[in-house]
Amino acid sequence: MIRHTSLFLVYELRNTFRNPIWPLFGIVQPVVYLLLFGPLVAGASRQPTSEQLTSFAPGMLVVTALFGAIGVGYGTIYELRSGVLERVAVSPAWRPSIVLGRTLRDGVVLVLQSIVVIVIALAMGMRASLPGLAITVVLIALTGLFASGIGYGLALSLRDENGMAQIMQFFALPIMLLSGALLPMTLAPEWMQKVALFNPMYHPVVAGRALFAGDLTDSSIPIAFAVMLALAALTVTWSVRSLRRIAG
Amino acid sequence: MIISAHELRKTFTTRSRKGAQTVEAVRGVDLEVEKGEIFGVLGPNGAGKTTTIRMLATLITPDAGTATVAGHDLLRSPGAVRRNLGYVSQAGGVEENTTPRAQIVMAAKIHNVPDPAAATAGVLDRFDLTEMADRPGRTLSGGQKRRVAIALGLVHAPPLLFLDEPTTGLDPQNRANLWDRIRQLRELGTSVLLSTHYLDEADALCDRLVIVDHGRVVAQGTPGELKREVSGDVVTLRVAEPERAADTLKPYAREVRVDDDLLRVYVDDGEHTLPALLRALEERALSLTSIALDRSTLDDVFLAKTGRSLRDTGAAA
Repeated sequence: MIRHTSLFLVYELRNTFRNPIWPLFGIVQPVVYLLLFGPLVAGASRQPTSEQLTSFAPGMLVVTALFGAIGVGYGTIYELRSGVLERVAVSPAWRPSIVLGRTLRDGVVLVLQSIVVIVIALAMGMRASLPGLAITVVLIALTGLFASGIGYGLALSLRDENGMAQIMQFFALPIMLLSGALLPMTLAPEWMQKVALFNPMYHPVVAGRALFAGDLTDSSIPIAFAVMLALAALTVTWSVRSLRRIAG
Repeated sequence: MIISAHELRKTFTTRSRKGAQTVEAVRGVDLEVEKGEIFGVLGPNGAGKTTTIRMLATLITPDAGTATVAGHDLLRSPGAVRRNLGYVSQAGGVEENTTPRAQIVMAAKIHNVPDPAAATAGVLDRFDLTEMADRPGRTLSGGQKRRVAIALGLVHAPPLLFLDEPTTGLDPQNRANLWDRIRQLRELGTSVLLSTHYLDEADALCDRLVIVDHGRVVAQGTPGELKREVSGDVVTLRVAEPERAADTLKPYAREVRVDDDLLRVYVDDGEHTLPALLRALEERALSLTSIALDRSTLDDVFLAKTGRSLRDTGAAA
């Protein structure tokens, strides 16, 4: 079980790093937000950019996870079309390891992407608590498992690029806005704040802000960990099950 | 017996706006494949070939029926079946961004091959792929990719290999090349189950075959047996009055089939019957546009069993 999972993980990581254009592409958007939107928010709130980044950067990590899920979905549909998944499904590999290896790869890639985004933010003058940063990276890894679980589950259930593009487009923007990643939900009217509570991505953003600011005892942190742990378990299970129905 | 399948059935339900629609893809297929033989499943597109192979390869669970594949019960121990087979799908499953060598080594590791690197080098060499083994998959030609696909299915030296339409989309040269390689598998003792909609392919490669149509087996045997069953030779004539010509020629033939202005006359000994046929037509003053004498083919078997020509169903021979 573990042997097969680590085999797939190592194999997929090697493939990713042989051609690292996609993971790099995945951080383009968050970095552009960081460079061109962060200063705007700072200006609007009359804060220096370096201070504003402490609350803006955590959201960009969550956005990276969200875009990662979309990439995962397209990659999976390609693997379905080309017969790659079918081929490994006939091998004696432990079935869940096929998805688990890929999901863990996504987690590792997301952690590396997050570190790059954090380094860029620090270079822009962000001040943040070091243990807070470290814990946030762990939280983002969990968020990544949740997001890539959705990517695999959707791709394996829909098996169609067009359907998936529509669903992703439909949900990506509201999820991003309602997570408070761009502008904090404290600026929102009360009804929006209530809706945001049901947006899974809201919790890691809030917890990330507390962690970056050094409020390591903030109650949002255990909540975010609990929500992400539960949802990651749920979506990864879903994607493993979807693979079982690969025959269609 | 490496495959023994009995009464396999599979029905698919597709949901659309018009409601649920069911397609009976396979309706009771029996197969008996001997160890070491190349066994063909021949039929037009949509006959249920791929579904049958996918059921036997553990990818789809049959709705009904039983099967023993490579010594293990298909339904009770699919894991054991998987350890003993190689499967090459129509799509092939060759990754574009990874080198053939890396992919094959990975397949070998998953199959617990003792020395993955050596097994990979061996299979690459056997399929003349060593030269392009370290280039990304996307740079390979269609024929090379197909060979990588087969190498991926063979690296663990399985006793049984499934090939789903192995030469579809290949040019004639690459097809001939692949046929040779498939024949070599017989010498190594690997049993092969292949599906195809090419008559010449089934004829050239298979020790035995079944012809499937609409999810059922309509004929089975060696290519020779099947062709003999229809008759030795077929005389194809294009005539002005096919019905009258058919009546005229019936006494000379085992069977006469009319297909528009085309007449197919099945005879045991074409060379010697042909002059008699021509004389008979001349006596009745029936004018003839063209005439051809051929050995009967598997298409004639298909025509005899289903009333349709494989060529009419959109599959070229």
